[in-house]
Amino acid sequence: MTTYKKYLLIWVWLIALLAAGTFISSLPISKTHAVLLILFISLTKAGLVCLFYMHMKSEKLVPIWVVAIFPFFLIGLAAALVLLGPLCFS
Amino acid sequence: MSETASTHAEVTSTGIPSGTLGMWLFLASEVMFFSGLIGAYIVLRASLPTWPHPGEELSIPLAAFNTFILLSSSMTMALGVAAVSHADLKKLRLFLLLTIALGSAFLCVKGYEYSIKFAHGHFPGTNIFFDCYFMLTGFHGIHVLAGIITNLWVLSLTYRKDFLQRKSHLVNLSGLYWHFVDLVWIFLFPLLYLI
Repeated sequence: MTTYKKYLLIWVWLIALLAAGTFISSLPISKTHAVLLILFISLTKAGLVCLFYMHMKSEKLVPIWVVAIFPFFLIGLAAALVLLGPLCFS
Repeated sequence: MSETASTHAEVTSTGIPSGTLGMWLFLASEVMFFSGLIGAYIVLRASLPTWPHPGEELSIPLAAFNTFILLSSSMTMALGVAAVSHADLKKLRLFLLLTIALGSAFLCVKGYEYSIKFAHGHFPGTNIFFDCYFMLTGFHGIHVLAGIITNLWVLSLTYRKDFLQRKSHLVNLSGLYWHFVDLVWIFLFPLLYLI
C-alpha cells in the first residue's frame, strides 16, 4: 500500500470513529456507558493520529512516547472525574 | 552542508535530530498548557451539582462538522509530508494549501458558532459553562491560527530554489504541530460537546 493510500485509509477510519462517537452521544444509554464509549473512541482516534500521521509507529524513541502518553493519562483522569465527580465532591 | 541543514541533521544524544527534538519539547510544553486548562474544566465541572447538557447549549452537528474539517486537514498535512519525502513540490504546495484552507474553514465555522452564542446573549462571564467553553475553544482557535500562519510561511519557502536541500524538514515540524492541534480538538470535542 502506498503512503498516500495508507493516509486516506486512516482518514476514513477517523471519520467513521467521529460518526460513531457522535451517534453514541444521542443514544438513550446510561451516562457511564456513553462516557466510557465516547472516551474510548477519542483515544482510538488520537492513537491513529499519533501512530500514523505523527509517525510514532516508526519512531521507537522513549522521549517521544513519554510526551505522548501524558494525554492518555489526562483522558483517564477526565473519565474518572466525570464519572465519579458527584461522589467525590458532594 | 549549509548551516541550517547541518543544524537539523545534527543528531542529539537521544538519537533524534535537534529540530525534531526541539519540536517535541515544545509540544510537551503545549501538552502541559492544555492539561492545565482541561484539568481546570474537569474539576469545575465535577465540583458543581448540575451541569447543562451540552446538546442543549451547543450545536453538536456544527461541532461534528468542524471536527470533520480538522481531521481532514490532518490528512492533507500528512499527505504534504509524504509529498516532501518524494521531493514532489507540486503536491506539497497543493496539500499545504488544502491544509491552510481547511484550517481557515474550521476557524470560520467556529466564528459562526461564536456569533450564534453572542446573539443569544452568551458571552465569557455568562456562567461557568460558557467561561469554560470560550476559554478552551478560544485558546485552541489561537493555536489553529498559529498553525495556519506557520503553514503559510512554509508554503512561501517552497518557492525558494534550495527548499528541498535546506528547508524541507520544516514541513515535518509544522506537520507535527498541526497534528498536535488536531489531537487537542479530538479530546475537546467529546469533553465539551458530547458528554
